[in-house]
Amino acid sequence: MDINSRIERQLLVFAIWCVCGFAGFATLLEGFARDVFIISLIGSAFIVAGFIGHIIINALFKMGFTYGETVLGIGLFGIVVTTFVTGWIAGGYTDSDIWSGLTLIVIIAVGLPSYLSTRYGMRGAFSQFHKTHHSNEDLDG
Amino acid sequence: MSSIWLPLCLLIYAAITLLWARLGAMQNSAEGGFFSAGHALSPWVTAIVMAGISLPGWLLLSGTQHIAEAGLQLPTLLVAGVVIALPGCVFFKRIWLASMRLRVSSLAGLFGAYFSSPFLVIATTATAFLFAIGFAGVQLRAGGLLIASLTDGALDPVVVSTVIGFLLFAGVGIGGLRSAAYLGVLQTIFLISTLVLLTGLVLIELGGFAALNASLKSLSETDEASRLMTVQKVIQFTSGLGRGTDPALANSAIANFSLALALMGFQCGPVAMKLVTSTARPTGLAAGQTWVMVGTFGLLIVFALAIMGLAGLIDPDYSLGSLLAALHDQSPWFAGWSIIGVIAGVQVLAGLSIFVACESLIRDVYKPYFHAALSKQDAVTLVRIAIAIVILITVIMQLLAPITLSALAAIALPVSVQLASPLLGVTWARWITRPAAVCGVGFGVVAVLLTEPLGHEILSAFGLDLPWGRWPWTVHSAVWGLVVNFAAVLIISAITNRQAMTGEAQSVHDLYAKSLPSNPAGQSLRPVAWSLVLAWFFLAVGPGLIFGNFAFSAEAGDGVTWLFGIPSLWAWSMGGWLWGLGLIWFLSYKMGLASPVHVSVSAFEPAPRLTLDTSQQERERMRRILIATTIGAALITFTIFSFGG
Repeated sequence: MDINSRIERQLLVFAIWCVCGFAGFATLLEGFARDVFIISLIGSAFIVAGFIGHIIINALFKMGFTYGETVLGIGLFGIVVTTFVTGWIAGGYTDSDIWSGLTLIVIIAVGLPSYLSTRYGMRGAFSQFHKTHHSNEDLDG
Repeated sequence: MSSIWLPLCLLIYAAITLLWARLGAMQNSAEGGFFSAGHALSPWVTAIVMAGISLPGWLLLSGTQHIAEAGLQLPTLLVAGVVIALPGCVFFKRIWLASMRLRVSSLAGLFGAYFSSPFLVIATTATAFLFAIGFAGVQLRAGGLLIASLTDGALDPVVVSTVIGFLLFAGVGIGGLRSAAYLGVLQTIFLISTLVLLTGLVLIELGGFAALNASLKSLSETDEASRLMTVQKVIQFTSGLGRGTDPALANSAIANFSLALALMGFQCGPVAMKLVTSTARPTGLAAGQTWVMVGTFGLLIVFALAIMGLAGLIDPDYSLGSLLAALHDQSPWFAGWSIIGVIAGVQVLAGLSIFVACESLIRDVYKPYFHAALSKQDAVTLVRIAIAIVILITVIMQLLAPITLSALAAIALPVSVQLASPLLGVTWARWITRPAAVCGVGFGVVAVLLTEPLGHEILSAFGLDLPWGRWPWTVHSAVWGLVVNFAAVLIISAITNRQAMTGEAQSVHDLYAKSLPSNPAGQSLRPVAWSLVLAWFFLAVGPGLIFGNFAFSAEAGDGVTWLFGIPSLWAWSMGGWLWGLGLIWFLSYKMGLASPVHVSVSAFEPAPRLTLDTSQQERERMRRILIATTIGAALITFTIFSFGG
């Protein structure tokens, strides 16, 4: 892939996440602040929409997630889970907060294997986890 | 606690800006292309950034405010998407071909090569500066004040302006046009999402679309407010704004029509043309103008911006500033996101216009006339220095001279639309001669100045007082300029040698003849196209707006019923937008004005010339200019001292 196409893909990914990421994050926070599960659910839906948009862009440019994107995604997921679990243990969450957090975590946790299995098949999806990557180009090698 | 979100969002925005500046700079160092992105911008990037610079930033800040204060008296604003797209539809394809033939990457460069006219080069560069300092400066100031007010003074306007100025420099100074364009895409997307978000919030707060219109209906039942829902007259024969006892509010049908022509200045100007000439291929022009510009952005304007403005009319608490302040208190994360959208929308135009102005100054004025031996690397350095200086000037003017900034901003669009006559010469009307184009632009700019406050202030400084005010007869200065401009062009073209043409100009028209063969279907549709355009102008932005006052309302008992549940003029404008979408599609695709063209354009080969050392002449030219400037400044100071008010 030439440098122009790579930059354009990156630009589209940024554009998708600038909208869906910001919208998802802000709506989730709004849901937590107002203690309304449905608002948090809309926030989660924005994040799922961003993920789907990202996959569509990958398909358009015939490539998978880059190494950096994977690390960032998993890192953010880890932060979300840690923050949520820490907050839960510390107490103070309402039922709506707990359901909102769990919904987001479950959606992401189910989303990743679903994506891998639709892209690589069930066997191939498992292989993705024990593959060694030397290139930072993309997970597909 | 809530105050952390705004700085945090600004920090994220700054990080995104710096990242894309770095990516642009890295690509430049690998492939070159600081000035024109290696003429390799993708058509979709051009289409989005073009819409971003042309429409929503200023409309979000100024358009919503105008509707909130004056209602629907200027429905031209609601169909701005169509109006602004028209010049691009007519000019862009041919300008791209001409720029590729002459291997130039700016409008000033194109005029310089085609007409061999230093005046047109300087006029185009000056227009770019009007956008960079005036138009963008006013929007940046509004954005900066908004942030400062939201933080209750925690962030000083000076600090905010400086930070925004630094981000502007980072965006365009480091990575050049490439990073400006890439950032422009993100900034436009940020802005659109903010528009949608704010409109959604306004509707939620008001209780929905029906509730908004119910409030408008009760508002319109008072005499004073009902006037705000209509266009009052076809024309008002007044001395202009600020003269006589008649306030002469610019709310007539002719005021709407003339504003429409002024708005065309966006796509006749050097900023839009820079994007076109830096695009890799002209395959996305029709789609960009039709579906991005009119389809998407036009729809946003006629719905989202109208909703936001009308909400502000119902209750000033829903005006943009108040809305953001309320949001900042209740949902600071959404407020942070919205502010980013507003700042991004303003910066997309500011960044590109500052870049284009400085590039034109160095590459089209300084290098050809004063330093022919300037290397490309030195030109890049000089452009970066110029960008830093212009941003500094803009920031200082925002803080110290906001009135001058407004006066400069007011003439940016009307002056820009004066470039339509040389643009027509380059693209369609080969009979427009060089003297005609020069005089047309010159007289047009003078007419604009004489019907705008800036010209009045300048003349007043010399002790001269004009008998008319701003926009006599409620006709926008752009139209006064265009009338004088085209009168001069027609007369002078008629009396000068229309066969005398530079080799470059001849070569461009040969290219059109070869690459754009006449289309028999298009020829037969030409009368239809003209009829559709003229009818659209008459009904959507011209005197026909008077019909819009009552076309979709009916008398019912004591009151008036709105047939579609919305003000008649708003429904009329929605119809105008829909018709406009069809019109732009028809012109772009069916008439082939912007349709994709797949040609390989060879460079113009000038006749071989002996390369002479011009450094002596350049030094002499600089010396003469310095002497003339000094004498001129002394004379001006003396005249103002003697006769000035």
